[in-house]
Amino acid sequence: MHLKTDSKPTLLWLQGVTCNGNTHSFLNLSSLVDLLASYELLYHPSLPSLQTFENVSTCKFKCDIVVFEGTFDPLLQLNNISVHRILKHYVQSAKYVIAAGSCASFGGMFKASAPERNSGLIFNEMLQEGPLLYCKEKVINLSGCPIHPEWLGYTLSMILEGEEIILDSYHRPVELYSYLAHHGCTRNEYFEWKIDSKMFGEKEGCLYYEQGCRAPMTHASCNKILWNEISSKTRSGMPCFGCTEPDFPRADFFTTKTNMSIPEDVPLGVSKRSYLTVAGIAKTFHIKRLEGKLIDYKRTD
Amino acid sequence: MITRELIEQIEGEASVSFEMKRDKVNFATIAFPHFRGMERILQGKSALDALVITPRVCGICGHAHLMASVRALESAYAHAGHAICLSHKAQTIREFTLVMEMIQNHFKWFYLTLIPELIKLRRTSKNSTPLKGAFAASLASKTLASFAGQWPHSSYMLPGGVTCDPTHMERIKSQGYLKELIHFFETETLGTTLQNFLSFESCKEMNALQSDISYVEQALLASGMHQKGFAYDRFIVLGEHSFSTPSKMKQTRPFLVESKYVRVKESYSPQEQTYAKNALYKNDYYETGPLARAMTAHVPIIRNIHRRFKDSAYSRVMARIVELASLLQHATELLKVVDPTETSLVAPEPIHTITAEGIGIVEAPRGVLMHKVSIVSGVIHRYEIITPTQWNIGSDTKIDPTPVQQAMIDVTKEEALFIFRTFDVCSVCTTH
Repeated sequence: MHLKTDSKPTLLWLQGVTCNGNTHSFLNLSSLVDLLASYELLYHPSLPSLQTFENVSTCKFKCDIVVFEGTFDPLLQLNNISVHRILKHYVQSAKYVIAAGSCASFGGMFKASAPERNSGLIFNEMLQEGPLLYCKEKVINLSGCPIHPEWLGYTLSMILEGEEIILDSYHRPVELYSYLAHHGCTRNEYFEWKIDSKMFGEKEGCLYYEQGCRAPMTHASCNKILWNEISSKTRSGMPCFGCTEPDFPRADFFTTKTNMSIPEDVPLGVSKRSYLTVAGIAKTFHIKRLEGKLIDYKRTD
Repeated sequence: MITRELIEQIEGEASVSFEMKRDKVNFATIAFPHFRGMERILQGKSALDALVITPRVCGICGHAHLMASVRALESAYAHAGHAICLSHKAQTIREFTLVMEMIQNHFKWFYLTLIPELIKLRRTSKNSTPLKGAFAASLASKTLASFAGQWPHSSYMLPGGVTCDPTHMERIKSQGYLKELIHFFETETLGTTLQNFLSFESCKEMNALQSDISYVEQALLASGMHQKGFAYDRFIVLGEHSFSTPSKMKQTRPFLVESKYVRVKESYSPQEQTYAKNALYKNDYYETGPLARAMTAHVPIIRNIHRRFKDSAYSRVMARIVELASLLQHATELLKVVDPTETSLVAPEPIHTITAEGIGIVEAPRGVLMHKVSIVSGVIHRYEIITPTQWNIGSDTKIDPTPVQQAMIDVTKEEALFIFRTFDVCSVCTTH
């Protein structure tokens, strides 16, 4: 599926139950100026737009692309008009609907605001029961809490170029979500040799064994492309919270669930048996370099 | 007659119902219609999970929520008899990243809100340059993310310190971005050097400049905003930081403050359902934010502006711009003293051993932000958040108007809508 128009495509940014985090994340995009020059903004929650939201909410316009941020709540009223009605109207003319962030993709953080009725656009956590199920072929999920600006930049550019965007079973672009957050983590060597971080606040050690890190089970290119082009959760000593997955937010973010001191969830696609075999062998070695501090700040003179 | 105006692009929406009298605002009430139930979502969660959940209150000031949250937890530790002592490094990095988020916010407000709204108010055809704001804010986010891992939704603080363990490399990279940002600020926003601007003691010295700030200053005066938008001339600052002076003020008289006197009450919004609650100190409304911070800290140029124009819309706007300049200077100083060889975090007792109440107060971009937590064996029993917009943009009756209601009285509707935005409103924080 691709979009071919002679004039600039029109983009509408709508919001459900949200914190505006995806809006602000998008503003960090390094190619924002160029990208926006290729689109007409019908409405955006913080950028100058062709229309006010008040006008947009009356469902008088059409658009080519809908970006939806936030959890879908069927009872939510925006300017006293049902968000369901507004969404349905604009989705009709749109060739693409982009769910920006985990709330719009799966329900995310604000599913908990009204768990009995809130969901993402196609998915309610893992189940396909969202309001846009009837036109799911239009929907691209860019999960993440928040969305990485480059993921949206990529998707909007691919659409402009008429390139096909191949999606995974959760409707996420495979070029963005085939990587794991683990790929590119600076703690990889500690993971390989099964050396856990003794405590928070150190650059040494792997956060997977005790500190709750979900990176080996989480589809995201965070550690490949980095956040704000400079860092990531794990590089700043934080475990990955698995924010791109349908089960985000889980509970006890800073603790790894274990059974008999073995992590309950092992790296994606690896059988528990293989994992335990390799881990058992790796743990028998004592590698002095990895057990001490990475950098010795003591003067040698 | 009552007319309703939808206010957009304030991190969500709000609506203002105006009661007009001879083309001037006689009274206005404000409704924030969206609600997420953050405090309820936090109940029953592990106390440390608040450090992941509360930054998601707000996309533009999530870092301030993170810091309020970690301070609330640390205060609970202290009440449980385990006082936490932060390393100088952890303190400095926390302060630096908080300041950078404020800078990010102020740049966005200046270019994405203030200038376009001024152009609209003046009915001139000047082009606004909103993407300058996004560019500057993205640089501020980079300097912040060098330590916090990412922005928005940073979560890199834990009771006892910070989780990052930077080398001089991260500090120098961050410094490079900060220098680039200051260069942008000097060439585009100020039209003079940061040092020169910070030496100004009167706004008249801005007359010689040819820049975005001189446009704003002149447009505000031409719109009469130095004679409009007065609230109560009462200010409150509660967050303790290297850049703030906690105090409350009536005009220029300072008084001691104690956070225990902060309370909330239901909003008055007869036209439309609202989920917002008003924040007060004892029984009085106070303005919070950059103007309050400049007043309690005796910033010379703002005290001078206040002497002439009191707490007008002009003073409120100029205070935020001057704060942007002084925070850029302060951030530079903070970064110089980050010492990678110090400890980042001293691990406290496990959280499940803690049963106590805690309070965390910070100065967020828009003013006082409070988090109150009650923990039972490491689990959140109760959580309460009071945000700056609840102080500034409450909605009460005619007898007891809030700062913004007071500031909108007796001006035209167009002026009132502009004055509303001089407070820098955050809808998502207000109702959380």
